[in-house]
Amino acid sequence: MQGTLLLAQTEFNRLRRNRRYFLFTLALPVVLYLIVAKQGKSAYGVDFSAYYMVAMATLGAFSGALNGNAIRISEERKLGWIRQLRLTPLPANGYVVAKLLVSMATTIPSIVIVFLLGYFYGGVRMAAWEWIVVGIVVWLGSMIFAALAVAIGYRFPPDQVQPITALIFFGFAILGGVWFPLSGGLQKIGEVTPTYEAVKISTDVIGGTSVPIGLIAGLMIWLLIFAGLAVLSVRATAETV
Amino acid sequence: MSYSGTGPGQVVSFENVSKHYGSLKAVDGLSLDLRKGETVALLGPNGAGKSTSLDMLLALRKPTSGKIKMFGSDPYHAVKSGQVGAMLQSGGLMPEVTVRELVTLVTGLHPRPVPVDTTLRRAGVAQIAEQRVDRLSGGQTQRVRFALAIVGDVDLIVLDEPTTAMDVETRRLFWASMKEEVAEGKTLLFATHYLEEADQAADRILVINRGRLLADGTPAEIKARAGAKQLSFRLGGVDEPFLLGLPGLVSLEIRNDVVHIQSRDSDATLYALLDAGYRPKEVEIGSLGLEQAFIAITAEDDRSNAAEPVAGETAS
Repeated sequence: MQGTLLLAQTEFNRLRRNRRYFLFTLALPVVLYLIVAKQGKSAYGVDFSAYYMVAMATLGAFSGALNGNAIRISEERKLGWIRQLRLTPLPANGYVVAKLLVSMATTIPSIVIVFLLGYFYGGVRMAAWEWIVVGIVVWLGSMIFAALAVAIGYRFPPDQVQPITALIFFGFAILGGVWFPLSGGLQKIGEVTPTYEAVKISTDVIGGTSVPIGLIAGLMIWLLIFAGLAVLSVRATAETV
Repeated sequence: MSYSGTGPGQVVSFENVSKHYGSLKAVDGLSLDLRKGETVALLGPNGAGKSTSLDMLLALRKPTSGKIKMFGSDPYHAVKSGQVGAMLQSGGLMPEVTVRELVTLVTGLHPRPVPVDTTLRRAGVAQIAEQRVDRLSGGQTQRVRFALAIVGDVDLIVLDEPTTAMDVETRRLFWASMKEEVAEGKTLLFATHYLEEADQAADRILVINRGRLLADGTPAEIKARAGAKQLSFRLGGVDEPFLLGLPGLVSLEIRNDVVHIQSRDSDATLYALLDAGYRPKEVEIGSLGLEQAFIAITAEDDRSNAAEPVAGETAS
């Protein structure tokens, strides 16, 4: 575990120099929030500015977990860095665990910044425990996409990863009601996406309504599916990584 | 030298190891062992199975059949307990960090770390320690890869074509620092296609072709195996049947009045020629180089296999 933490620490230092990460996970949600947050009255039973705060926190956290990790894993596999690590005493799962840890750590600032913006710019008010619960839901939800990133990064070369993650991410963002609140037939389809589940759990908490168990179970099922895919990808490439 | 079971001083053993990809036999019943303190060159043409053998030794690939042992345990545990340092062609470096950061990281993963500055100096990368890894030249990258193989106090160093992309001077420095490592009692196994490198650096050479071990011995023994010496002279009006009857003769080649003979015993061959009353001119006797020996050994193997072509070879 010590070696895995050391790798995670080095990865973290490395990420601080990466502009693309900051653009996608930090800047984009902030800019969108400033433009859109005051354009509506309400959504999902809460103030629009509160809904959009949750949506943008989800956008930043999920895009950081998926886009950043998938392309980096794929590139590092192509470079042979993962192979090089296999020749060191680092435990076999150390690389993936370090990636997940760094992803978890870097998601926190993107959530906190959007929450601060929601409080000071959007005028969102709720109890302290509600802030914490909503933050944790979005934070843990990003794990789902970090797992998917591992599955994609191990399976596809870098030039294919870019369009694949873009397709998946925008699909889940639009269908999940992150860009705009869903209604009608689109909502019926979108209700099963992990993005919708994370946003809806959060708005239910903010709105004081009870959270349906189905939403929580849905998130868990997505996590299991993507984690399973990640394990399959890692195993399938065991001799070529 | 054949496989002799787990004995004292034994570092690595391959026991009838094969790796098949479909019908292609990349490694085909390979048996060998390495003992402590040896510097061993693994020599073979492209596609001979060198890289696949090293991959299996380093637990990157699993043998289809057979058994590999390193320090008495399986390769995976030997690698994870930090007993082996390796540098592979296919191994890459983490981008976006400096050389020092990368070496510090990998040193930190090792149970018996060597001070980072020592590693940087030995690998000849102290001057470029603050440069970013993804902005190095090919030769510099190669030296950083080597640095990662020696960050720990390992017992075995495995190198796959280590001096590729290095210029002559860097190559000389590389082998000088390698000798420092070997002097500490480490065992060294390296694959190469530079024959003079195998000749100079190794005290034992393993020749492999088509995934099988063809020859195993000192550089001198390998050279001797291919038919010893080359005898050349000029002789007008030669009698070919007579020459073919000379003692020790392996092969004969006549161009106009210049004769080239490969002989197992060049002295006896020459004396018999003189005793028969011939007076050849411009007599030269020379050793076959390792390169000629290597070509002779692998060519002989390819000839004897021509009757049963290996699948996959038709593509090349």
